[in-house]
Amino acid sequence: MTVEVSSLKELVEQASGDDRSPDTQEYFVNMGPQHPSTHGVLRLVLKLDGERVLRCIPVLGYIHRSIEKISEHMNYMNCVHLTDRMDYLSSIMNNWAVSKAVEEAAGIEVNSRIQTIRTIFAELERIQSHQLWWGVLGMDLGAFTPFLYGIRDREVLNDVMEETVGARLTMNYVLPGGLMADIHPNFVHRVKEFIKYFRPKLDEYDDLLTNNVIIQERLRNVGILSPQTAVQYGATGPVLRGSGVAFDLRKDHPYGVYDQADFEVPVGTIGDSWDRYWVRVEEMRQSMNIVEQLLDNIPPGDFLVKKLNSKIKIPEGRYYSQLETARGILGVFIVSDKKDEPYRMHYRSPNFNNLWCLEPMIKGDYIASLIGAMSSLDLVIPDIDR
Amino acid sequence: MEREALQAAVCELDSTVSPLDANADRAAVIVEASALPAIVRRLRDQPQFAFAQLLDHVAVDWIDRGQFELIYQLYSFKHKHFLSVSVFVPREDPRVPTLCRVHPVAEWQEREVYDLFGVLYDDHPDLRRLFLEDDWVGFPLRKDYQDDFMLDRPR
Amino acid sequence: MGIVTDKLPGALEKVPGGNVLVTRFDEIINWARASSLWPLTFGTSCCAIEMLMATGGPRHDLARFGAEVARPSPRQADLLILAGTIVKRMAPRLRTLYEQMAEPRYVIATGACTISGGPFIYHSYTTVRGADEIIPVDVYVPGCPPRPEQLFHGLLTLQKMIKEGETIREPGVRRKPVISALPEGITLEDIQGEMKELLVKENVVDVQHAVDKLKWPSGLNESSSGDSGANERGAGDGA
Repeated sequence: MTVEVSSLKELVEQASGDDRSPDTQEYFVNMGPQHPSTHGVLRLVLKLDGERVLRCIPVLGYIHRSIEKISEHMNYMNCVHLTDRMDYLSSIMNNWAVSKAVEEAAGIEVNSRIQTIRTIFAELERIQSHQLWWGVLGMDLGAFTPFLYGIRDREVLNDVMEETVGARLTMNYVLPGGLMADIHPNFVHRVKEFIKYFRPKLDEYDDLLTNNVIIQERLRNVGILSPQTAVQYGATGPVLRGSGVAFDLRKDHPYGVYDQADFEVPVGTIGDSWDRYWVRVEEMRQSMNIVEQLLDNIPPGDFLVKKLNSKIKIPEGRYYSQLETARGILGVFIVSDKKDEPYRMHYRSPNFNNLWCLEPMIKGDYIASLIGAMSSLDLVIPDIDR
Repeated sequence: MEREALQAAVCELDSTVSPLDANADRAAVIVEASALPAIVRRLRDQPQFAFAQLLDHVAVDWIDRGQFELIYQLYSFKHKHFLSVSVFVPREDPRVPTLCRVHPVAEWQEREVYDLFGVLYDDHPDLRRLFLEDDWVGFPLRKDYQDDFMLDRPR
Repeated sequence: MGIVTDKLPGALEKVPGGNVLVTRFDEIINWARASSLWPLTFGTSCCAIEMLMATGGPRHDLARFGAEVARPSPRQADLLILAGTIVKRMAPRLRTLYEQMAEPRYVIATGACTISGGPFIYHSYTTVRGADEIIPVDVYVPGCPPRPEQLFHGLLTLQKMIKEGETIREPGVRRKPVISALPEGITLEDIQGEMKELLVKENVVDVQHAVDKLKWPSGLNESSSGDSGANERGAGDGA
């Protein structure tokens, strides 16, 4: 039993070794932290043999903002707002995860109106997140038009949500005990209009990208992730479902009002980049179905529970709550010592665990395939680093 | 399996496993550090448990008791149940065997805990800092971490 | 061609066979610099979605201001739009990126994090409290994250600064930084004072007050004829 603590420098020196044969030369390439395809400040140290990737070592910490430490000095109401800045493309779902944990711990009952509105907003944001991912995937593979299409439709949905929420990206809409504000009187009407607008657009997406032969060539049979590897490497969300494991918290452990909605969980077959692509595009359709079903039946009630103190105190103990964001399971772990501030706050972020599937996916493949495979993981770097 | 039944079934696995009732929502057990990999492997392989995925690994610094608590959250896709496995290690010499051989994702989850808490994992293939620079001094999520850089919130 | 924010500096004089532009060297160079800024695609976190993606998209379209040629390489860029928190580990890389850019180079700091550390200022062991601790900043654009329109205001402010800015006799003289998007008559001290007051105040939520205050005005319903009954019920029950 030995414990050896190494450093990145040692690792690279060790791995570069003394292989000096004339026909092959292995070398290291740094990808990131400033690279247009890593979607932020992810750094990958790639060990290459020609164009083949032999090793892919992710180096993190270029946006580690110490959210868990800051949360230990904040009350629960304030903790919620830091989570928007983690996975900013699923900000409402992040808010909801913390709110859910605090509500379960403090025994706050929220009415079905609040739950329904939260579910609708979570699904709308899932659509929004996938729209952006779809555009950026196209851009990563060298096509600029999908980006314009994706952003165009994202703005339409953004307007609908902004009317109620008041913010464009970090929405801060859900808080423990309810919502920041009631839905705008125009909301139901405008969401219906949006769905009517977006359904044909999704078919247009299929014409433009899904059925495009170049995209198919670059995604099919690239970055294959077997279901066993996906489970062992901690993948959740569309990455896991792309590999053929039909696991979705919305279905298997329903929260909110997902049990009232009728929807399907799209599942891939062989787990290549194409399956993950298809799962996300299909999820947008399913999310629209969920929203449509819930929209006409928003129950009456308040948008905030009464008798709420901003300094919520939680009984001593440990609380774990999780929900399905656009990228996988977000877990919130709270250790309380009866104060209004958490003793320990931990976030199980979906991206952190999905990232490690990258190496088994692209080992031995071309460096160009890495871009497509990484794009199909849909990483948000601040969520990895927290 | 129901929460209580699962907890009891896991405790019958070995004499080193005992129940823990701090969690409100899920079955939880305490395992002795030395027996951890064997227990988790049995939890993964035995069909009545089938805990296939290590969802999360968290450390808690119980500074008053002089202990670190290491929590492993397991999930079974087959039976759709959760289990939390806790290991208590002394704060002065925090050492625990690695779970990399059982659940490969533990490699990075353990690196995160090493980075922020300084828990050493025996037999870990690549134990180094994850978020912070290699030359960082101290382990910032420990409760007694001091730093010239950090600012306290004005009260 | 987009929005022309300023006409060509100088005077056109008609001569037989065409026109002659009479201008000063400084003016024409600064005009050219201001009208074609090439931003570096540098985004660390949330602001990147708003500052790079939404502004580059079709709705907001940075191209109207001549700044759409986003370059991934600092060697080809002259505008650094800082989008997102800077942490200690990223700081040396940011400095390198800045130094790799060719002079004249300009920096717009967008969002609370790059201005002061934002929500991550206290109890954080990594967050740098403001990008100006690492590199000089020309324009600050506040917000968390700022709206794309605020970035445009910042960009126009920068263009104005460049046009009034350095001369050939004194190249590279650092301009005084500007905070964009402050309404007229409001100073930075006013905002700081207000923030301090808010921080001191005990923050207990008065739910009834919030519910009353956040109710949507009833007149709004009339604009949407296709609404179902659920809406009106909801708005009415909130009170």
